Amino acid sequence: MQTEATLAQSDVSELDLVKRCQAGDTEAFDELVTRYRTRVFGMIYNMVHSEQDAWDLAQDSFLKAWKSIGRFRGQSSFYTWIYRIVMNVTIDWLRKKKIKGGDAEFDDAIQLREIDPASKTVPKTEALPHQAMERDEIRARIEKAIGQLSPEHRAVILMKEIDEMQYHEIAEALGCSIGTVMSRLFYARKKLQGLLRDVYENV
Amino acid sequence: MKTFEEKWTAWLDGQLSGRELSEFEASLPDKAAAQAEKAEAKKLGELLKRELSAHPLKNEEFFSHQLRERIVQESGEQRRGRARRSPTSSWWTIPRLLWAGTASLAVFLICTVFVMHQERPAEESQYLTQILNARVDPVVSPNATVSIFEVKQDRVTVLWTEGLQTLPADYAAK
Repeated sequence: MQTEATLAQSDVSELDLVKRCQAGDTEAFDELVTRYRTRVFGMIYNMVHSEQDAWDLAQDSFLKAWKSIGRFRGQSSFYTWIYRIVMNVTIDWLRKKKIKGGDAEFDDAIQLREIDPASKTVPKTEALPHQAMERDEIRARIEKAIGQLSPEHRAVILMKEIDEMQYHEIAEALGCSIGTVMSRLFYARKKLQGLLRDVYENV
Repeated sequence: MKTFEEKWTAWLDGQLSGRELSEFEASLPDKAAAQAEKAEAKKLGELLKRELSAHPLKNEEFFSHQLRERIVQESGEQRRGRARRSPTSSWWTIPRLLWAGTASLAVFLICTVFVMHQERPAEESQYLTQILNARVDPVVSPNATVSIFEVKQDRVTVLWTEGLQTLPADYAAK
């Protein structure tokens, strides 16, 4: 698994940073946040499909990590450890949202249609308008399909396919067995294959 | 023992090897269909990776700044919380009150037992002295001896007198 830590080209090891955090050094924690914030945000966004919610949940996850950093024993990588916090926070949030009945449609999918095409705030991309539209449609289809999975299945497929995590890392992050991870992957793939076959066959 | 789902997933991800791989592939009823599904799963993975990977965090520095602020705020609240709790906490916490009560009761019981223990011999001693002094007159009965035997648990006291010349008529052991 390639993490931002390996890309960071930093001389300071992750474990040193964690030890400094445990001694109350907020600058060390800031360094860890800088290393993982994009990846954590991306994972949460793919789970909840709303930038604002993903931002808030990423904030909550890092804050929770800061509060409980004293309990980190270094038995797993910091990335796996924080992923466990991220997954707990996000899955809890998704469950509560479902109970409240707010799981009908992704927020950003709604926002996408509400943007005025003539608006000056429409982001400029290099793709041609029809290509961008096509890509948005594909993305919306994928997000809708992922939205039909349970939070646990969603987490497993995203960690495996997007973050390329190993089974044991996913199991650690979700607090379940490797067998459960493999079983969830099986059903998540089957479901997505059924929902997105025309997309990946025609793209 | 792995389930079919676990073996299938491991096979799709190229995690089976050697004997396990050959056994699993031999158990597939339609190997061509399975290979087609494997290719589909690969395409699905590629699609997800391509479409979902690039979702950048905008305003990264503001994200970190906001988090720093929240950490400072939380730390301040924790300190204030501790400070608020400290004046209300006193020496007389519930466990300490219990200990103090138990200790007081124990001291009271010890004192009571001690006082009762002290009182009884005084009564007996006074009683014996009364007999020795008032009833056994050395002039009248020079060789008289008086012994007292007591069994406390049976509440029995035996007064043994010897050598008395006379026993006063009005004397009656109570």
